[in-house]
Amino acid sequence: MTRPDERELVSREPVHRLWVGAVLALGLGAGLLLAVLDLPDDTAPLPSIARRAMVEALPAFRTTEPVSAVVYGFRAMDTFGETFLLLAAVVSVGLLSRTREPRHGFIGEEKAGAEEQSRSDPQEQETAQQREARAGERVEAGEGDSPATPDDEPVGTPAPERAHAMTVVTRLAVRLALPLLAVAGLYLVTQGYSPGGGFPAGAVVLGVVLLVHAAFGYPAVRPLVRPGRTEAVELAGAMAIVLLLTLGLPLAGSFAASWVPLAPEQSLRSGGLLQVFSLAELVEVASGLTLTVFALMGMQHDWAADPEDES
Amino acid sequence: MIYVNYAVAGVVFSLGVFTVLTRRNLVKIVMGLSLMEGSIYVLVISTAYRRGSTAPVLLTPPHGFGERALARGNVADPVLQNIALTAVIIGVAVTAVLLAAVVRVAQHYRTLDADDVRELRG
Repeated sequence: MTRPDERELVSREPVHRLWVGAVLALGLGAGLLLAVLDLPDDTAPLPSIARRAMVEALPAFRTTEPVSAVVYGFRAMDTFGETFLLLAAVVSVGLLSRTREPRHGFIGEEKAGAEEQSRSDPQEQETAQQREARAGERVEAGEGDSPATPDDEPVGTPAPERAHAMTVVTRLAVRLALPLLAVAGLYLVTQGYSPGGGFPAGAVVLGVVLLVHAAFGYPAVRPLVRPGRTEAVELAGAMAIVLLLTLGLPLAGSFAASWVPLAPEQSLRSGGLLQVFSLAELVEVASGLTLTVFALMGMQHDWAADPEDES
Repeated sequence: MIYVNYAVAGVVFSLGVFTVLTRRNLVKIVMGLSLMEGSIYVLVISTAYRRGSTAPVLLTPPHGFGERALARGNVADPVLQNIALTAVIIGVAVTAVLLAAVVRVAQHYRTLDADDVRELRG
């Protein structure tokens, strides 16, 4: 028997036509199982398209990694389309996460209401709850009395910690791991088995930025993730990709054809167009993912009416 | 035994469909879609696998492999690996857009229940 106040804490999971869904999902599952039984097993010969990628990667691009040759070479057109799908997604998230008010000179809820408040009830005092909330907001905006950098706070200061950062243990661990991770990311894009790891290296760059954010707080990454600058970097990456692939048209006869001179395999410049394409992809993916993640984390309250206020 | 992987992909996909069909919480619907995406990665990577094969890299093959064996196709399928790479990036992008939309819906309607979001209903 639960007490009434306990019962309210248990969230009710809204469920919709459970049995219909179960029957449909089971039916689909059965169909899928029948379908996958007909797939080739792990002893089947490679499809001809895969064999062609294996055989032609070296002569066509002087690269020892056929996966990169497929991503940036044989399927360059697909990767091109995918890049702009990513760009479209980043733009959508940017638009959705922006507040409706213009960025400069907007009137916040508090400012808009202040005048009316002073007319209708000039005597009203700030309640303790409001004071606490406003102080919290100031700290979040970096205006509180927290130290400028977490390292300014002497080790052993009693809780609560006021700096935007983790403990000294986490900060030291991140300081040790960061250079290794950053170098690993750069290694992926410049060397790896062979050049051409723009996508995974872009994800590694995002990981590095997020680690800095987690360990040292938002002020440490603010200059890196300022939308105005990062958006320009991302669009520069996209422009570079358009330019690189279009130059194939006059220089090599077709869009996305490799026009960069081939260097010996296993060198920094091997892979011809692959390497520059993958570098541009690194810029695009790293800045795009960073923008998306920080746009989602920084989503502010939109100016929607609160039904409770209207009544 | 690669069919076990295929079957797992099928089961996870159906679980995703079940979640999307029966849950009304928007975040859970997005999670269902992510389950479906994940099952596709499992399927594609499993289809690329070849028994006793090595990675599709044309560089110092492991012991017992000649250089020629690689070119003959005794490797995992590089094209399917590339498709998995593509799918992961698209999955991340789509999930981010969906989550941004979900946050906005939650702010406007003060609920995550898809059944309460019915302003467009005629």
